[in-house]
Amino acid sequence: MRDPRLVIARRELRTLRSEKTIVLALLIQLFIAAFSSFLVVGLVSLSDPGSADGFETTIGVTGDARDDLLRVVDEQPSMTGVAYDSESAARTAFETGSVDAVLLADRRAGRVFVTATAPDNNVQTTVIVVQLRDTLSAFERSERADRSASLSSTPLDLPPRTRSPPYYGFTYTVLLPLLCFLPVFISGSMTVDSLTEEFDRGTLELLRAAPISIVDIVDGKVWAAGVLAPAQTALWIGLLGANGTTVRHPVAILVVVAALALLVVTLGATIALLAPDRRAAQFLYSVGVLAAFGGATLLPSSPVTTVARLAVDSVGPAYPFVVAGYLVVGCGSYLLLRQAVPRADVSGR
Amino acid sequence: MSDRSPATWLRSAVRRAGEAARSVGRIARWETRRSVGVLDRRTAILGVLALLVAGAVGGAALVGGGALDRDIYRVGVAPDSPYHDVVVEDPALTARAPDPNQLGRGTEVVIRDGRFYVADSAKARAALSTLRDAVGRQNLDRMGAEENTSAAFPVVVTLRYTDRGGETPTDGGGSNGDGDAVGGTSADGDDTDTAPSDGTTAEPSGGLDTDGATRDGPVGVPSLGAAGGLLGGGDSSGSPADISPPFPFASLVLAFLFFVPMNFVIQPYGSTILNERINHRGELLLVTPVSPSAIVAGKTLPYLGLLVSVTALITLAIGGGVTSVAAVAPVATLFLAATFVGAMFARSFKELTFVTVFVSVFLTSYAFVPAIFTNVTPIALISPLTLVVRDLQGVGVTAAEYCFSTGPFYVGSTVLFALGIGVYREEDMFTQRPVPLKFLDALNSRITRPRSVALLSAFSIPFVFIAELLAIAVLFVLPGTVSVPLLLVVVATVEEVAKSVHVYAAVRGPFTDRRTDEFALRLGALSGLGFFLGEKFTAVVQFVGLPDLELGRAAFVSVGDGPTLAIGVLLLLAPLVLHATTASVAALGARRGRYAYLAALVPAIGIHAAYNLVVVTAIA
Repeated sequence: MRDPRLVIARRELRTLRSEKTIVLALLIQLFIAAFSSFLVVGLVSLSDPGSADGFETTIGVTGDARDDLLRVVDEQPSMTGVAYDSESAARTAFETGSVDAVLLADRRAGRVFVTATAPDNNVQTTVIVVQLRDTLSAFERSERADRSASLSSTPLDLPPRTRSPPYYGFTYTVLLPLLCFLPVFISGSMTVDSLTEEFDRGTLELLRAAPISIVDIVDGKVWAAGVLAPAQTALWIGLLGANGTTVRHPVAILVVVAALALLVVTLGATIALLAPDRRAAQFLYSVGVLAAFGGATLLPSSPVTTVARLAVDSVGPAYPFVVAGYLVVGCGSYLLLRQAVPRADVSGR
Repeated sequence: MSDRSPATWLRSAVRRAGEAARSVGRIARWETRRSVGVLDRRTAILGVLALLVAGAVGGAALVGGGALDRDIYRVGVAPDSPYHDVVVEDPALTARAPDPNQLGRGTEVVIRDGRFYVADSAKARAALSTLRDAVGRQNLDRMGAEENTSAAFPVVVTLRYTDRGGETPTDGGGSNGDGDAVGGTSADGDDTDTAPSDGTTAEPSGGLDTDGATRDGPVGVPSLGAAGGLLGGGDSSGSPADISPPFPFASLVLAFLFFVPMNFVIQPYGSTILNERINHRGELLLVTPVSPSAIVAGKTLPYLGLLVSVTALITLAIGGGVTSVAAVAPVATLFLAATFVGAMFARSFKELTFVTVFVSVFLTSYAFVPAIFTNVTPIALISPLTLVVRDLQGVGVTAAEYCFSTGPFYVGSTVLFALGIGVYREEDMFTQRPVPLKFLDALNSRITRPRSVALLSAFSIPFVFIAELLAIAVLFVLPGTVSVPLLLVVVATVEEVAKSVHVYAAVRGPFTDRRTDEFALRLGALSGLGFFLGEKFTAVVQFVGLPDLELGRAAFVSVGDGPTLAIGVLLLLAPLVLHATTASVAALGARRGRYAYLAALVPAIGIHAAYNLVVVTAIA
């Protein structure tokens, strides 16, 4: 006879397929990923002038510090300065649209007071404001250099500016961990549902009448949910690779995800065995998982940073030990659960 | 009816309403008692503990800043280098030995003798960019500790936003407002304690005249800092590094604050509805003389009340008013309505979990819309959160804006509850059927005669509206050559499915004995007419309520203002003809079965997409 635990696991996966819920789960993940990328890509491309190619900003400059400011403006890439003799002339140019923003710079009391006017309710506003900030920061540095005699320390020289890909950090530190851990959370929630439903429908009594132990039942459910998470992660890593985002150490990442899935699924099963019904169980599970993962990000090496560092290959030669540590935690919690299950009171419901 | 006087009729109507209200109240009380009873002491203690831990973790993460990108870039820098502290302090950077041979293998950037060596990879460029930002921040910190403030921060910037283009010529331009602002800053500038480093909170400057009536007055969000920049408003001043572009930070925080409780409440709500369907438990209630709608109302009321009171508490905490609660309440209602329908359709708790997650993800993304269209205020109004932001900023919200923003939510919730109550009956509640079939059943319960088809089409408008907006949002990332045609096809698909799916349900259900081509054409034409009327009604509401919504009118193609009356009528009627034609094509297929229906959708979508393309190119 086949292993009854495998039979239960297979039945779990079969219901998922027949209910087509796994499709819904993948859709949810894809949607979250697409939407968060959209938000970041949209906002970054607006707030990073380097990535908005060919967008030339013309600035009207006036006031008595005009010439010094104009020198800095002309050094900036994709920015042109136009000098105006009076504020009203600059303002007219702004109203007619011949300049995109106006800087009024006056020297008073040893400082330069700049009033910057940017257009309102305009898609370009964000780009213009960021460019103004960069320009005025450069102006501040040059003014500060003139006053270095009255400063006790000198500022460090800035590293050179590069054309860096703006979404690099986001892809590896937010998007990839999101796609790795969403399946883990969903798997845990699935286990909670699956077990509480057996209680609720009274089918657990029937299962227990069969020649299998309660440990076997929990085993089957944990296995089914635990396999699902790494499988989905593998799919996402493959898709990211096809899209040109290389993920390094894919096997190590999959092992970490599998270990965490085991841990979270174990947590879900424990809660389902302890809590009186699904409402309480799902609440405890979601709060517990949120707290655990939120707390983990405070540690120097959280699951999120581990995955990110593995993916960008910022790990030392000792990384197999870290991965093995996750595996030990995952398997350890699962073994503890197996020890505890026969002692849990599951008959009284 | 005729022999009864109006007074008797009125009296009996009042009595019936009173009875219904009493039974709703009874069920609501019962639901509350039972839900509270589920929580035994152990669970309650565990829950409180979990909440405490979660709160502590959340607080610690806010204070300590749990960095997701900790140590992902490695920089080779000697311990005695001035850059060493910068690298150690930035969470994303980690210090390594400055060995040039390791460049590209163990380190991305190496700093030696004041020179920067960078490996040739995307990662190394990202690392250098992070390093540059970190050095800039460190410099600012160092300057903040200087005694001589005017030498450390020699530049003080006041940033302000001004409308241009003379849309309101009586506004007087910006010249009069300017004097105030300069006066305000120079008054501050005399004493040295205008420490620009704390300038992240925008001090409202005096130049209110420049900005018109839309956002004078202080920003009423104490802890949100950048909220002033939310809708392009709010002036700021300080060191150049402190000025920031209008970032929709407030709407993100608000979405988080208001939506997290909803996500928790819909879980037990879905459970209690599904519980009724397990082991025929709901049968007892169904056989009582209480109507299904009263049962559903009674079971929903406690959860709605809970959500509204939580919303009110949050609003009170962040200093909002009645408008904020009124804006968020319809969102809570739609959350519950969608969960209710999900729980009526789901076959198991697992399926219900996925449905509720889908509901939360979908609605939360929709509320993020203001973050996307932050620079286009009328579009941002699509999300009720914009109303909350405006309320917090002390800007009034007009009735038209309120209706525009929350209308889809009210109509959507009503339709969903109506659909769900339609299947709140024995033959649907206790049977295990696939979700699509249940959905068709729910539609059928609302179709009694051919005219109902038109009504259902009209009521699908809010859902079409939401789906198309999300499509625009998601497809926006792709390059224009791909996204525009794709968007046209997606829009056509959404509208065609919305117009035909209930026709398909109808010919399988109530009209199963009337499957002729002629009847199918009639249903198709009615469906097209209903959709057209719904669309035009929405357009009229938008036009009346929000006359400056040009972008919205461009996005949801609607035509008018023809050069002559004849062309105007033609342009007005063209969408009607289109909707009726395509719906009829789909209806002809629907009459012949599932596969014929799916096949017929293809030409219907094709015609619709082609029409959209013609309209878009003609306008552009």
